Amino acid sequence: MLARQNHSTPLQWLGRQLFNRDDASAFFDPLLARINPMWVQEYTPARVQRIIRDTSDTQTFVLKPARRWQGFAAGQHVNICVEIDGVRHHRTFSLSSSTTLWHDEGLVTLTIKRLPGGRVTNWLHDQLKSGAVVGLSEAFGDFLIPEPVRPILFIAGGSGITPILSQLKTMAVHGFRAPVTLLYFVRDHDHAIAGEHLQNLAALHDLLTVKIVASQGGSEPRYLTQSDLNEITDLGCRDIFLCGPQGLMALAGELLDAKGVSRDKIHSTYFSAPQTDLDSEDLGGKVRFARSNLDVDSTGDAPLLEIAEAAGLTPQHGCRMGICHQCSCRKTSGTVVNRLTGQASGPGEDTIQLCISIPQGPVSLDI
Amino acid sequence: MKQMTEAQLTELEQDLNAIRNDVLADLGERDARYIRRVVRLHRTLEVGGRVLMPFGFIPPVFVAATVALGLSKIIENMEIGHNVMHGQYDWMNDPSLHSQTYEWDTACSSDSWRRTHNYEHHTYTNIIGKDRDYGYAVLRLSDDEPWRPRHSLQFINYILLSTFFQWGVGLHELETERLHRREITLRSKLPFLKEFFRKGGRQAFKDYVFFPLLTFPVAPIVLAGNIGANLIRNLWSSTVIFCGHFTQDAETFTEEECWGDGKNESKGHWYLRQLSGSSNFTGGRWVHLLSGHLSFQMEHHVFPDLPAHRYPEISDRVREVCAKHGIHYNTGSFARQYGTVLKRIAAFSLPDRLRARLPALDVA
Ligand code: FES
Repeated sequence: MLARQNHSTPLQWLGRQLFNRDDASAFFDPLLARINPMWVQEYTPARVQRIIRDTSDTQTFVLKPARRWQGFAAGQHVNICVEIDGVRHHRTFSLSSSTTLWHDEGLVTLTIKRLPGGRVTNWLHDQLKSGAVVGLSEAFGDFLIPEPVRPILFIAGGSGITPILSQLKTMAVHGFRAPVTLLYFVRDHDHAIAGEHLQNLAALHDLLTVKIVASQGGSEPRYLTQSDLNEITDLGCRDIFLCGPQGLMALAGELLDAKGVSRDKIHSTYFSAPQTDLDSEDLGGKVRFARSNLDVDSTGDAPLLEIAEAAGLTPQHGCRMGICHQCSCRKTSGTVVNRLTGQASGPGEDTIQLCISIPQGPVSLDI
Repeated sequence: MKQMTEAQLTELEQDLNAIRNDVLADLGERDARYIRRVVRLHRTLEVGGRVLMPFGFIPPVFVAATVALGLSKIIENMEIGHNVMHGQYDWMNDPSLHSQTYEWDTACSSDSWRRTHNYEHHTYTNIIGKDRDYGYAVLRLSDDEPWRPRHSLQFINYILLSTFFQWGVGLHELETERLHRREITLRSKLPFLKEFFRKGGRQAFKDYVFFPLLTFPVAPIVLAGNIGANLIRNLWSSTVIFCGHFTQDAETFTEEECWGDGKNESKGHWYLRQLSGSSNFTGGRWVHLLSGHLSFQMEHHVFPDLPAHRYPEISDRVREVCAKHGIHYNTGSFARQYGTVLKRIAAFSLPDRLRARLPALDVA
């Protein structure tokens, strides 16, 4: 997913002849990485310039990607790739900086919250030091500032603020000329990411209204309500951007529906928290075979190879007992449990053996 | 093969699983660092060999360049390619070290290798008629195959096979013996042949056309050096592989033993067969590295997907398990093991009656 494919065809041909691989330049990566990790060709390297502490559990990582990185639009995400204890992990985060920072200084930022039990976020917080190099994918996602300029309502929860942060910063620099309101739900005010920065932006730009709501402050939890929406002037003609935990997104969806806001005005994006409980009881789940464009349901401890075959697919396999690796394939998302070790995989991209992997919840595969 | 009850086989399975689980639980940084270091060594040797080769008109440089390139191919084939394709490093989640995508520096395409070696050979190890690696359908190495006059010249076949080993391995999937017996048609092998010509062509192009032409005035020297490097690799890998299964005490099996009366071979039985059918040889650190740790063929066959550099450190435990269950831990010096291989090739080139009269050739 981090690979780039922009080589000319004759060179690619020659590369394959000489080095048995599509990306001939990456043949030298093991040596280049030794000399200067920023020269690695297989993925785009990005050096950690600085790490800024935002809240007790959130840090902003300032990255300098190799110059060949192609840039991003505010609201987009990237995958980053880090090696933890010998294993490469990929995770998706939204960029939180303005696009100007990239254009002017060649820098981007990721604002990352520590997830309880999260392998990668905790490692990033505790182990990643400035000066280190991580892998970066090209930016993707269509959570983008509307064009032409229209009034906007942002509803964010927790770390869902990060893509919106990038959008607000970018809009401020470019002088966005329409009313913008942000409703930002946080546990308490100490957990507001970039709270001060947002208030400053609001003070500088009279078209921007920022309302930070602490959900856990009072005697009762305080969630998004109908009256929050009533306060928004001309809600009907605003584009609405939602980003946050699933509960908030669902609630916002219902309330907006009740208000008669049309669906195509609503843009949303979220990352669900990785599943941390490994209860082997709840095995099975929806399996998506992406390349064959097929979805099937599975229950119990059926391994993916059997699920795929039952669905009429014929994935490569050999021994069916975990020794030959003929059945290895890419899992693009979801968690699987290894039948031999009882271990659950991470939720991100991974290589798994179909014959001994059992889905735990929804899984999608590149076959 | 040693007779063991189902209960004993289950115990054997548990004993070996315990070793396996300990290694799996410990995989990490150290293994990643090891394989990356080996990959760096390979790149350095290959780049070094290629760069030096055009200066091969100076004899010592010619030797150095040829040896460097030969070593680079050996390390790439044995310690990197073979082991990566077994999935030993899949857990690293690094696409350049992944079993299903790795393509190695030899005439055999990785896809073909994954079918004939990872699947056929490792599933049906030493079962005559099922494991086509046993004698490579060229050599007669056990009594299970009746003697024919052509076998008397099999020593020549053996030398040819070793010299052109990469091409032999590349063509292995053609199943010429079955074509010969008209069990399959050449037609059904066309997709494979296409794959073979593509991969083999690529290898020949780079070593015998591209690099010599690139260095035009000294093309013959570069060509000779590249041929030499391939030869070094072919002889060494074939020797290592022959020492893994064709030594004096490495056993063969019949289908009947494993699947007789419609039974399914248990994992414990499979383990027993892997141990009884393989053989190790001793040596220093470099011997192990250059053989891709197939000097620990027994450990490799019971745990084909554990990183190979772990075999030396678990070999004592495997040896103890063997001792406990009365299984012969087949090891010896390289010279001794290789000697028994040569003896086996010679012995089975003779008709059974003649062999029986030559005690020096007794291998059974
Ligand atoms: S089929 Fe052999 S490992 Fe899955």
